[in-house]
Amino acid sequence: MENNSIQNILESLNYFTPELALMLTFFVLLLVDLFFRKSKYLLPAISLVGFIVSGYLLVYTPDVKGFLFSTGMTNIGLYVIDPFSFFFKILILLAMIYTILFSLSSKEINEAGGNRGEYYVLLSSFALGMFLLTSTIDLLLMYLSFELVSLSSYILAGFTRNVKRSAEASLKYIIFGAVASGAMLYGISILYGLTGTTNLYLINFYLSNQNIESLPLVIAGLLIIGGIGFKISMAPFHFWTPDVYEGAPITITAVLSVASKAAGFALLIRSLKIMFIDYTATNLQSSAWAILSQFKWNELIAGLAVLTMTLGNLAALWQSNLKRMLAYSSIAHAGYMLTGFVILDNQGIMAILIYFFIYLFMNLGAFFVVMLIADKLGSEEMEDYTGLGYKAPFLGVSLTIFLISLTGIPPTAGFVAKLYLFGALIKAKWIWLAVIGVLNSVISLYYYLKVVKNMFLRESEIEYSHNLGHGNLLITLSLLIPTLLFGIYFKPIIEFAEQSVRIFGF
Amino acid sequence: MIPLKYYLILSAAFFSIGIIGVLTRRNAIIIFMCIELMLNAVNLTLVSFSSFFGDSSGQIFVFFVMAVAAAEAAVGLAIIIALFRNKLTINVDEVNIFKW
Amino acid sequence: MTLEQITFIILALIGLTSALMLIIQKNPVYSVLLLILHFFALAGFYLLLNAQFIAVLQILVYAGAIMVLFVFVIMLLNLSNEEALKDPFNLRKIIASIFGVVLILQFGVFFFIKAKDDLNVTISPNSIEAGSIKKISEVLFSTYLIPFEVTSFILLVGIIAAIVLAKRKFE
Repeated sequence: MENNSIQNILESLNYFTPELALMLTFFVLLLVDLFFRKSKYLLPAISLVGFIVSGYLLVYTPDVKGFLFSTGMTNIGLYVIDPFSFFFKILILLAMIYTILFSLSSKEINEAGGNRGEYYVLLSSFALGMFLLTSTIDLLLMYLSFELVSLSSYILAGFTRNVKRSAEASLKYIIFGAVASGAMLYGISILYGLTGTTNLYLINFYLSNQNIESLPLVIAGLLIIGGIGFKISMAPFHFWTPDVYEGAPITITAVLSVASKAAGFALLIRSLKIMFIDYTATNLQSSAWAILSQFKWNELIAGLAVLTMTLGNLAALWQSNLKRMLAYSSIAHAGYMLTGFVILDNQGIMAILIYFFIYLFMNLGAFFVVMLIADKLGSEEMEDYTGLGYKAPFLGVSLTIFLISLTGIPPTAGFVAKLYLFGALIKAKWIWLAVIGVLNSVISLYYYLKVVKNMFLRESEIEYSHNLGHGNLLITLSLLIPTLLFGIYFKPIIEFAEQSVRIFGF
Repeated sequence: MIPLKYYLILSAAFFSIGIIGVLTRRNAIIIFMCIELMLNAVNLTLVSFSSFFGDSSGQIFVFFVMAVAAAEAAVGLAIIIALFRNKLTINVDEVNIFKW
Repeated sequence: MTLEQITFIILALIGLTSALMLIIQKNPVYSVLLLILHFFALAGFYLLLNAQFIAVLQILVYAGAIMVLFVFVIMLLNLSNEEALKDPFNLRKIIASIFGVVLILQFGVFFFIKAKDDLNVTISPNSIEAGSIKKISEVLFSTYLIPFEVTSFILLVGIIAAIVLAKRKFE
């Protein structure tokens, strides 16, 4: 038996290659940083190569493989590979690659001087943690990878240490984060006590076969949802978001708002779907939350989703700092995506996946343009953007397109994303939720257009001329074209998302 | 022999005390200590379940929680030092932690 | 009363008092010492639960390593006594305390009334074997090998964090 388990672990490593590539990148970066501190392009180049190699290996590992690292009956594995995790890993890699590209032209990062090496090292450990989060099926590995992601992001948020607000942001982030993960851990321990195992599939098995008191289960579920809700900045746990997003270097804000949110959603969907589904039910719609049937889970999540998007949108109305406004808008977007989670059947999950894929391009694009302008202007205040549309027409128009797409107006991709999400809601008879979602989008129109109005409809006398350079132009275009293209030709994303809703075991 | 429920109540009490501490105290170092209190309450729950099941995986979990707690404390204290150099305070009220 | 029960009660009293004193103590140095006392009480509980290895780790890692870190930082920053807790009628504190008491009551009710029979079980005879170093290391290095490796990354990130954030100056 002993030999057998080692054999299985060694075999499993063949399917673990994308993660191994990230680990290797981590160590190579750490070593290279030691010897070639001065070189500006070496470290980003190495991390880019690492991420691309990892993506290559990801594409060439098999589609579905369960029971990785399993050792006999009591432990049926810690890790799975399925189309669902593949989708999120691709999303995370894209976000990471864009972040590295952004960092190359970011003033904040380049001024960090000798510590730039650690920045790239931590980005790779961040990516590794998110990779593990998307396909773990064991509560222990889930907690550890959750902490790996969190710890890396705490440091990255406080990275530009000499900027005071960055250190403050970091402190806020770690206090909230540590409390949230402590609460989640308590939930995990209750769940372990109820079932005697940490594997999600085995937990499902025990929960559906034994008659378990529902109150502790509800408490455990709430605590776990709360812990993950912190990561995706769900409503009662969103307090850290604006401060951290404003205080962190803008490249990190961008990656936090896309990649770490994606990993959080992947974890939320996978863990709750596996744990609380009733396999014996015939109707997919009713089986979703079946084990917790005494408690109206989807109504609770629906309420939280409404709270999240409304709070995010209403608070965004009053912001004068563009970065802070985008932070609130990202809270609101988390709320929209949570509505898809309410349904939790394939339609709902597919809508979330489509939304995320499009959100990646439009949100990263908005952050990138804001970063370019802020580096030049030295300010993120909306007032300073007055008349910018005429001084820097390309950036102005791109920012406008990204913001319009975030609102969800056709012909941009944001419209397609919202269409599928609200369509899925209506199909599942959650019409009031869809109506609230649409109303919220209308509110968001106001603050997004306020920026546009400032840039184009008001005269100003500021001196501003922007020489973008070819690199930045290309990066902007590579984000702009998908945002426009997917608004008209969205079939490939739909197909990709359709294939990716398959979670192992379903 | 002591029934399981006494251990669970005790650890729930420790956990709650930790949460009260996090909510009431303003000194960042003490907040971190209260977080350690919460994590230890969880550890007590895990160890007691593990012993009552006669299964080691709960104790393995505690082992990992300890490692993570060490890393988290190191990061947290490093952030506190960085902040203190900038601001000469570690009172979270002056950091405006609950600012909207 | 058996010896085990007496030990349990004493340890519970030590644990509760030290935890409560910790959160109302003004001087962070005393808080650290109380927290160490609390950890020793927990180590006692682990011994009662036949988890010898975890009990040893509790003393070595928590009371030994982590708390030394806290003491170092407090000494390094040279903090004076905290001004907080002087105003007893702070609304947030009242709300927080009410919340905490409700939480404790809720857990108490839940464990005493709701789950009367299930939780009256006593310790399993297998627990002596389950808590031994042999068994734990066996499971740790076969079943939980990957989590173990991930932990090494977490610790490495912690080290990098300490260097990046606490180093005095960028060269």
